[in-house]
Amino acid sequence: MSLDELLATRSAVIVPCEITARFTGFTRYALYDRGSYDFVDVPADPRIAALVEQVTGAKRRCVASRVIRLVPGDFILARHDSIPTGLEVVVDVSPAPAAAEVHYRQHGQVFFRMPCEPGTAALVPRNPTVSSNHTYLSKLHTAEVVRWICLFV
Amino acid sequence: MWQLGPRDEAALTSAWRTATPFPYVVLDGVVPTGDLMEVLDEEGVARYEADLFAFEASPPNGLPELRARFAEALAPLLSRVTGKQVTRADMRAFAYRPGHYLLPHTDHQEGLDRLLAYAYYLPSPEPPQGGELELFRCELAGGELVRTEHALKISPRPWRLVVFDVSDVSLHQVCEVLGGLRISLAGWFYA
Repeated sequence: MSLDELLATRSAVIVPCEITARFTGFTRYALYDRGSYDFVDVPADPRIAALVEQVTGAKRRCVASRVIRLVPGDFILARHDSIPTGLEVVVDVSPAPAAAEVHYRQHGQVFFRMPCEPGTAALVPRNPTVSSNHTYLSKLHTAEVVRWICLFV
Repeated sequence: MWQLGPRDEAALTSAWRTATPFPYVVLDGVVPTGDLMEVLDEEGVARYEADLFAFEASPPNGLPELRARFAEALAPLLSRVTGKQVTRADMRAFAYRPGHYLLPHTDHQEGLDRLLAYAYYLPSPEPPQGGELELFRCELAGGELVRTEHALKISPRPWRLVVFDVSDVSLHQVCEVLGGLRISLAGWFYA
């Protein structure tokens, strides 16, 4: 593992985040060998850029902004991850906590878990050695998971 | 351990050839002659979890005697029914409890030479709710799946054996178990 790769796994953080939002216009994704979820692409939001600057101390440019929604039975597998490079920010805008996580993996091992807790955001450095998946949302409970995912460079 | 008794092979062969969304066959009443559950009681299981699955299972490459007997009993019939010449099988014991699942995948991996996949359901002290084997209809373009849709579900009834083709389009899953305990043996047949 290179020093850059090591630093990427060590610098992922979860921070409090007061950003809230409601979204409409979702499209269903259903290639079941990769994932099952709703998504909508939305404009970059200056509140998230401000959060990034506050946490990292540097101004960065948002190059992707997508909201995903999972309902019971939904999931996103690691093989569906686009393996982006940059700083990934995941803002949890779910209506309530749920038993669901985003997992970040390096060399097959989970090194960082983001639980579903509204009012938090995760900042995770991404490079070609890091992949992510959104864990299966059980049908045993009523739940909705909404995550606003942005990539900064 | 298994004596299959008379089976209508013509009907099974026809079922295999005409099955959709991909070739599969269901054999009910595949009852062992010995005490299978006693053998399995001696096999430990551990929890396995990844992005694709959460379940309890015996270790890979275990159950050597049982899988040899299973292949001995089933391989000749399955070779005739499916047209795929199989001789040996691997086998793991699985326990799916509430919240356990195996998400959609095809079983097909280059170099592993899996010809047929199987799931063999055993009696449970707490019959499961959910836990069906679900098959998907797929459309390929340029070697990639470009469209998938739900096709059918097969219930995990005791002593039921489901055998299905392994290919790029054999997309299937074990639906989440919502209650009870789903016990099975599963694996693949090889040449």
